[in-house]
Amino acid sequence: MAMTNPGSRITQGTFSFLHDLTDDEIKAQVEYCLSQGWAVNVEFTDDPHPRNTYWEMWGLPMFDVKDPAAILYEVNECRKAFPHHYIRVTGFDSTRGWETPRLSFIVNRPTEEEPGFRLIRTEDEGRTIRYTIQPYVTEEKPENERYR
Amino acid sequence: MAKETEIKDPKKRYQSGVIPYKEMGYWRPEYEPKDTDVLCCFRITPQPGVDAEEAAAAVAGESSTATWTVVWTDRLTAADLYRAKAYRVDPVPNTGEGTDTPAQYFSYIAYDIDLFEEGSIANLTASIIGNVFGFKALKALRLEDMRMPVAYLKTFQGPPTGVVVERERLDKFGRPLLGATTKPKLGLSGRNYGRVVYEALKGGLDFVKDDENINSQPFMHWRDRFLYCMEAVNRASAATGEVKGHYMNVTAATMEDMYERAEFAKELGSVIIMIDLIVGYTAIQSMAKWARKNNMILHLHRAGHATYTRQKNHGVSFRVISKWMRMAGVDHIHAGTVVGKLEGDPNMIAGYYNTLTKEYNPQDLQQGIFFDQDWASLNKTMPVASGGIHAGQMHQLLHYLGEDVVLQFGGGTIGHPMGIQAGATANRVALEAMVKARNEGKNIMKEGPDILQKEAKWCTPLKQALDTWKDISFNYESTDTADFVPETSVSG
Amino acid sequence: MIQEVNPEDLPENQEEEQPAEVLPDDTPIDLEEEFKASNVQEVLDKLDQELIGLAPIKQRIREIAALLLVDRARQQMNLTTETPTLHMCFTGNPGTGKTTVAMRMAEILHRLEYVRQGHLVAVTRDDLVGQYIGHTAPKTKEVLKKAMGGVLFIDEAYYLYRPENERDYGQEAIEILLQVMENNRDDLVVILAGYKEKMDRFFQSNPGMRSRIAHHLDFPDYGENELMEIAKMMMRDLNYEFSPEAEEAFREYIQRRMQMPHFANARSVRNAIDRARLRQANRLFAGDTKNLKKQDLKTIEPEDIRASSVFQEGVPDPDPALSQ
Repeated sequence: MAMTNPGSRITQGTFSFLHDLTDDEIKAQVEYCLSQGWAVNVEFTDDPHPRNTYWEMWGLPMFDVKDPAAILYEVNECRKAFPHHYIRVTGFDSTRGWETPRLSFIVNRPTEEEPGFRLIRTEDEGRTIRYTIQPYVTEEKPENERYR
Repeated sequence: MAKETEIKDPKKRYQSGVIPYKEMGYWRPEYEPKDTDVLCCFRITPQPGVDAEEAAAAVAGESSTATWTVVWTDRLTAADLYRAKAYRVDPVPNTGEGTDTPAQYFSYIAYDIDLFEEGSIANLTASIIGNVFGFKALKALRLEDMRMPVAYLKTFQGPPTGVVVERERLDKFGRPLLGATTKPKLGLSGRNYGRVVYEALKGGLDFVKDDENINSQPFMHWRDRFLYCMEAVNRASAATGEVKGHYMNVTAATMEDMYERAEFAKELGSVIIMIDLIVGYTAIQSMAKWARKNNMILHLHRAGHATYTRQKNHGVSFRVISKWMRMAGVDHIHAGTVVGKLEGDPNMIAGYYNTLTKEYNPQDLQQGIFFDQDWASLNKTMPVASGGIHAGQMHQLLHYLGEDVVLQFGGGTIGHPMGIQAGATANRVALEAMVKARNEGKNIMKEGPDILQKEAKWCTPLKQALDTWKDISFNYESTDTADFVPETSVSG
Repeated sequence: MIQEVNPEDLPENQEEEQPAEVLPDDTPIDLEEEFKASNVQEVLDKLDQELIGLAPIKQRIREIAALLLVDRARQQMNLTTETPTLHMCFTGNPGTGKTTVAMRMAEILHRLEYVRQGHLVAVTRDDLVGQYIGHTAPKTKEVLKKAMGGVLFIDEAYYLYRPENERDYGQEAIEILLQVMENNRDDLVVILAGYKEKMDRFFQSNPGMRSRIAHHLDFPDYGENELMEIAKMMMRDLNYEFSPEAEEAFREYIQRRMQMPHFANARSVRNAIDRARLRQANRLFAGDTKNLKKQDLKTIEPEDIRASSVFQEGVPDPDPALSQ
């Protein structure tokens, strides 16, 4: 049932090949974001498609906090509300020339065994193949009913 | 201040015959460069008996309006404007008398913006490096750096995608990207080639790359390669839930062939294509326009550059090539590794990386950057580090090259004793662990090896990689190094 | 291919898992040295310099600092593991130095490593309580997050609770506050501030809040002489001085003003000085503007003070900050 890649898990985010970060490790990364002057936000989703850009926002990005405890507090609130979702923490840099996320890592996974994706091939002319990637969990179940 | 030498009296100045360049108005020590001038710094080695100012004036003349003799037709033009002006000559430290190296000089030359066609690297280079490098009065000549005025930069498209949008499209933030070049370079069939691509991507790389000389040879024609590689890319993407890519090399004999291959790559859904530097500046600019139009990342392999960038006394510095390529518009360019098998002094490489990735480069003589350069919001080009690097050097790579770089471990992935996937995993684990440690405030140059060993305790592929390549390093002296040590100042 | 080993299972990562080491009873500890290293004395000195009087408060601060220092030493000796409750309540009339002391307290807590950043976020009811349903929780959390790593100072905290209005959103803010004060003791310290009587009534109706407060500090009103000291210090900082007659006038001003409503201690002194400076400027302009000296620009004269309505009409001057 689990994915066959080396870690048996979805490898999005900056630290997906390492063991799950502990709360203290999450704080250390957030501390780094804050020291760079980045705003940090918490997002969640149960659609792991690699092109799913817009995860749901858990509140607005936190612009003026001084201490990583504030972000961990929201991560834990989000975990309580959405234990069966992916949750990620993103540091956003507003300086000219960037204006984009600079760090983004997963802090919650919905399940021990992530089912992964179906690859759908449609043959076209001249041996060309059109590819579609579909998360198994989104095939039948609607939002908020997946991974349980 | 050096003396004015220009002949001001038109009768004398335009008498038929031969007069020194200095007297024709190409040596102008009082000239203050305008914000709109293109500035060049050349390293000149004059022939014995030629004084440095005359040599500098000759370079200015031969790269702009002069010919070997006086022509009256100059007087039909605003000749003073069109003449390039050598405005400063400094001796190069540690050359000339008392050293083993013949005397060299840095000569600074200003060119009016009207000498150049807008948005054309071909036209720019036809002037600046067109004729003058074969000029007899010089033993050797090297273009060290250029300052592009903002007004001129604004006529160039620049990188079609840029570092910021590339990361957003790939959904990859906060760490260097990982790649590998398929090996062996030559001989794999399309089917076998795609296998390498699939294994490496599934194991944890972001990109795999065609090599510079993989085009469409008898052992593997390009359509075949493209089809198998896209199967590999999509399979790997489904296996990991991550965006993956393979640089499809579309380098070919004609523009028509290149466009055809690029179109096919687009049709198959590839996120990235590649070209080689040897296709020429015009072809590069054409592909950059195509890539902007088609939302494609454009990778450039710098094939051939070392023929003119490596020697310190003659040619064109890679810094200048980096500048031209950011203007011409490529999203990736190979720019050295510091620690790998290819040429690269840490300071020089920092200069290339800064040239490619910053919004503004302040003068930094140690890095070979002679001028302040405002990049006028041109996109950033992602440098690529490739050639003889492996997971055991991860702390050095991150320290020297930073976060905005593609680290390409070809042999370091495919040569892993337990296979390609294991090789890719070792690299990815090492990379993520090192970025994590750096962000936590650890001194990675000091603690790097311990950090890797700690991860190797649970990640067997990394342990195997560290054991296999533990003693591999390439410590040869670089040929292209800085002339300046920190306390030297250029002014005065 | 990746072995399923958790990093915590590795022997070298298990220090934290082991039971705390029991240190022998004669393990030495140098409190003096600990105190020096923390640099807390510097903060206490600063407090002495910037705040006139307030002897009982300064004494309490010293006691709290000593307690925290000993507690820290006990933690190092594994005699305790709990983070002590540090939330405080500062009561007293306006202008008695509550905010200043709170800022220094944040600094002391930071130096003793009880808070990580040491900043102070000062708020009132309006910063915490929303205008419509669903507005309060995010507003309160926003403030709490900004204060994490430091001290949250809630001025006139009792206005959070308005029993007369059953649809008041203040109760929601109180509940979130209580929760965070309990669960995030490592992350922030809350100081409630306001008038003593109102605060006592607030605690009566909110016993949960009372039980979470570890230290109560009651700030006394300043006496006449202290207020004169404060006035002179403020003048010095601004490079002004009273002429001898003006000093007499100002003392008289204070005596009268203290008897009037809305007297706000140091704040009223500050306002009186600001108004005197305004009158001085007008006086200089109305006079011989060509032949002034530096001394004239520095000096406040009795007429700059006696023009106040405190003397003229027996009521305080209209003050935008207090005129509601």
